[in-house]
Amino acid sequence: MSEFRPILRPALGSKQTVASADFRLSPLPEGTIIHVLARPGQEDIAPLLGRFTDAAPHALRPVSPDQWFIISDAPIPHPEMKSLFAALGPRATGVDQSHGRVRIRIEGKMARRALSKGTALDLDPSAFPIGQSAVTLIGHIAAHVTCVGADTFEIIVLRGFAESLWDDLARMGLEFG
Amino acid sequence: MSSYRLPKRGLVDRDAPLSFTFDGRPMQGLEGDTLASALLANGRMLVGRSFKYHRPRGILTAGAAEPNALVTVGRGGRAEPNTRATMQELYDGLEARSQNRWPSLDVDIGALNGLLSPFLGAGFYYKTFMWPAPLWEKLYEPVIRRAAGLGKASYETDPDAYEKSWAHCDLLVIGAGPTGLAAALTAGRAGARVILVDEGSLPGGSLLSDTATIDGKAAADFARDTSDELRSMPNVRVLMRTTAFGWYDGNVFGAVERVQKHVREPASHLPVERLWRIVAGKALLATGAEERPLVFGGNDRPGVMMAGAMRAYLNRYGVAPGRASAIFTTNDTGYTLAQDLEAAGVDVVAIVDSRPAAGIDYRGRARLVREAVVCGTKGGKAISAIEVLHGGRTETIAVDSLAMAGGFDPIIHLACHRGGKPVWSAEKAAFLAPGSLKGLEAAGGAAATTGLAACLGEGAARAEAIVRGLGLSCPPVALAKVESDEGIHSPAPLWSIPGVKDKAFVDFQNDVHLKDIGLAVREGYSHVELAKRYTTSGMATDQGKLSNVNAIGLIAKARGVSPAEVGTTTFRPFYTPVSFGALTGAHTGHHFQPVRKSPLHDWAKKHGAVFVETGLWYRSSWFPLSGERTWRESVEREVLNVRKNAGLCDVSMLGKIEISGSDAAEFLNRVYCNAFLKLPVGKARYGLMLREDGFIYDDGTTSRLEENRFFMTTTTAYAAGVMNHLEFCQQVLWPELDVRLASITDQWAQMAIAGPKARMILQKIVDEDISDAAFPYLAAKEVSLFSGAIHGCLFRISFSGELAYELAVPAGYGESVADALLEAGKDHGIMPYGVETLSVLRIEKGHVTHNEINGTVVPADLGFGKMVSASKPDFVGKAMLQREGLTAPDRPQLVGVVPLDPQQSFRSGSHILAKGAAATLENDEGYVTSSAHSPHVGSTVALALVKNGRNRHGEEVLVWSGLHGQSTPARLCNPVFFDPQNERLHV
Repeated sequence: MSEFRPILRPALGSKQTVASADFRLSPLPEGTIIHVLARPGQEDIAPLLGRFTDAAPHALRPVSPDQWFIISDAPIPHPEMKSLFAALGPRATGVDQSHGRVRIRIEGKMARRALSKGTALDLDPSAFPIGQSAVTLIGHIAAHVTCVGADTFEIIVLRGFAESLWDDLARMGLEFG
Repeated sequence: MSSYRLPKRGLVDRDAPLSFTFDGRPMQGLEGDTLASALLANGRMLVGRSFKYHRPRGILTAGAAEPNALVTVGRGGRAEPNTRATMQELYDGLEARSQNRWPSLDVDIGALNGLLSPFLGAGFYYKTFMWPAPLWEKLYEPVIRRAAGLGKASYETDPDAYEKSWAHCDLLVIGAGPTGLAAALTAGRAGARVILVDEGSLPGGSLLSDTATIDGKAAADFARDTSDELRSMPNVRVLMRTTAFGWYDGNVFGAVERVQKHVREPASHLPVERLWRIVAGKALLATGAEERPLVFGGNDRPGVMMAGAMRAYLNRYGVAPGRASAIFTTNDTGYTLAQDLEAAGVDVVAIVDSRPAAGIDYRGRARLVREAVVCGTKGGKAISAIEVLHGGRTETIAVDSLAMAGGFDPIIHLACHRGGKPVWSAEKAAFLAPGSLKGLEAAGGAAATTGLAACLGEGAARAEAIVRGLGLSCPPVALAKVESDEGIHSPAPLWSIPGVKDKAFVDFQNDVHLKDIGLAVREGYSHVELAKRYTTSGMATDQGKLSNVNAIGLIAKARGVSPAEVGTTTFRPFYTPVSFGALTGAHTGHHFQPVRKSPLHDWAKKHGAVFVETGLWYRSSWFPLSGERTWRESVEREVLNVRKNAGLCDVSMLGKIEISGSDAAEFLNRVYCNAFLKLPVGKARYGLMLREDGFIYDDGTTSRLEENRFFMTTTTAYAAGVMNHLEFCQQVLWPELDVRLASITDQWAQMAIAGPKARMILQKIVDEDISDAAFPYLAAKEVSLFSGAIHGCLFRISFSGELAYELAVPAGYGESVADALLEAGKDHGIMPYGVETLSVLRIEKGHVTHNEINGTVVPADLGFGKMVSASKPDFVGKAMLQREGLTAPDRPQLVGVVPLDPQQSFRSGSHILAKGAAATLENDEGYVTSSAHSPHVGSTVALALVKNGRNRHGEEVLVWSGLHGQSTPARLCNPVFFDPQNERLHV
């Protein structure tokens, strides 16, 4: 079956963008998500990780102590991924999560209000400025939230929960539609 | 005479009439009315029947503390019992029904209970219905419950939506009365993040019924203008119709917003109620004070009302209580009410003041009766006269309404939700909030401050201090100039009133009267918590908002001590009732719990899978083909096909963890009870993970893909638990090890390809050589697929006992790869199979799951004793595994079980009894952990945990299920029913 070319099926492929004047919910391209785990006791490697990103804003997001996500809209070919992992060593390990995590964008004047129906995070710009990331629960589902713009957030969620979270977010935004 | 609407006065919109019904009778109200004010405007003074004696009851308050006017609003799934008419905003089409009466509110048979009242005192059911004992459940309790009670909940589904939301602020102000508005304005202008909540529909609280002027404006206009300014500030959120009901750790407040309880048809895009969790830097309790009733005979007769409530109905709603009112007061507020009543044209017949002199210069027309009390009332379903005791004489005065003003109790409920107890102030004659609360302080009426100007000033001052504490500068807010303010001096409390003959109610909602409190004290229940439970005072939906302090005062008087010594009962959330809908929020129906979908979910669906919920996962259970009538038909076909050809099963939901770092092998060696340190790269190994107590926690295969990179699989159920366990080991037990853990469960679509033709099918898509020589049993490595189009991991492991592989591919490609495998295997007879077939195959092969790893077994019990490393210096569970009880010879051991007659069957969970033994607990030998019909064996086969089972192969036993009434003669045997030599694994 050497001629067979597998087809990529996005987890939220069946979901349409939900959009209104003050609230917009959209699935993001399933590009690249690399989970970087630093060696324990390693000096802060965040400054070094910048060179592994595609230079897009907020391409490097903290996950937990000594752990980050490197994000890109575009997929990285397998050999490049392997090279990247090799370059990270021995200070850190890279784990491909490009398929394991799904990104969702939520934006608009009412994005915070909608998100606050699920998360206990204080998303006010004074407490959660642009560039800030946090792991939280949105309703019953664990998610990673980053403020990527004035009224714009990106959520990273486990692929298996992506549809469920999408449905919850759409419901949270219902009153702003 | 009855109550009626005044031709003018009030904040109601006289151009917006609203129609509603009460007990089916059509009535008219106005926009801005509550149901209570509209009922009064319609002359409806009798609105309910009391809990126990079915006494006629009217509207007592104008707010949240209402104990009497409880009605059912709405119909069908929207019917809401015990709605306080005083809080229910009127809307066009509102349907309200009275409660706890039969056949009607006006003619209620239950009122006969009043005749039996000498036998129905506090605790009567503890004394009266003792014998014969069986009748309690069958007769007495049902009858008592039927005769007493509140509204009934609907059995229909609630059609409306609810939701929850979080909010954060620097300052939470609870209560939008004068204190709260001044505080919110001060903090808002300073730029602090402020949330102002109030349970009412309009901001203003007491300002809405006050006749004072503030900066030359009517009090209500001041409230409106202030709230308009607050709403215009981006840093201030005003939440009206929102009751703060609880104060929790972390300065989190619970509040419920009634978003659409005031509309006839709730809009579908909005919830009807929203539950808020408000995280506040600081909070100011500006909840005001509750007026205290007076305990005189017949104080519950319709027409008797709290003085503040009467003033609210008069000034806010333009409703007069009657045409001839009396006022019974212990303080100066009674006189302010008298002035307002007279200004509205209501004749104030008398002001009965318990004091020798008033602190206010009253120049109205009412007759003043000083040093006097109202000791009784007369009337049927409405008051017709009062009995006034003064100078040793009782005088009857005809009235159609009576206001009672017994002083004020600060509303400090929330301040006591985190363990603090109210503190009695003799000076204020009231319980105050406990001192030095962290994050919360009371101000204004809630701190027993009286007078409008004082409350406004205190609200502003407290907010200013809080704002400065936050490091913000706070521009001074000019103090408002108040005219016609009423300065109330704290009155001496009037607990008991002389000359009382009729029932004098302490707790209106529970029908607890003066004598009940006395009885409780006499019978030894004088501790406030015991008195509450003995008399039921302070229970039910109002939780004693009006009654608690009077009950405490009466107990104190009976005991001859101060109320400080009696103390209060424990205050707990909720301040007022909160619906289950609000507490549940959006988590109902489809949103009840998240659904976790495998990347092969849609693939399974298109092949007709029947799904089963496994935790949050939806797993494909079996794949019926047309013509198959039962699930077993499908499963047996799938089983036989795997044994004969090949099958494909979705195992994506198995937990997968990538373990890396230079100490990864050492880490695994300590986590598993068997050896992992020297596992070669490219090899998989079955591992057993123990708990610290020596029992098996989980099992799975772990593969060494690189020197320092391992791919661990866990069971589906324990995936998250194992990850937590590993993180604990890494962070707490062995922080010195260089180990990194990443959950990769969702990254991979994983499929088992099992059966004698598995290799030839798989080889069509895998680029590398996977012959037995190149890729033997337990091999594991990264592979490229479809000429390098994608990459995955391949493991030669088998749960079925067949030649089998597990292939993991990036999840987004899962469906496509599964399609390709079915296409590649079409000519080889490949078919999808589900977890039922997976289960049959593994039982035939004697493989265990968490049916057997039930939390009480050690490795040796399952035949894995030799796996446990004797040479490793340590591993989790090693020490405790040596305990005597875990090595005892009669421990349960894994065996196989087959029925003697292949036509007979038995079920999982059945017990094993020695042949001929009676079915008793003592004779229990173990139980069947897993069972299935095996097409290979041709009968039911089962795994069981049986005492000393390994030495009993061949023994005849009885498989007994008391639940199903089944006894099946059976034989214990080797648990491996299929290919015991493992020949098929190595082909």
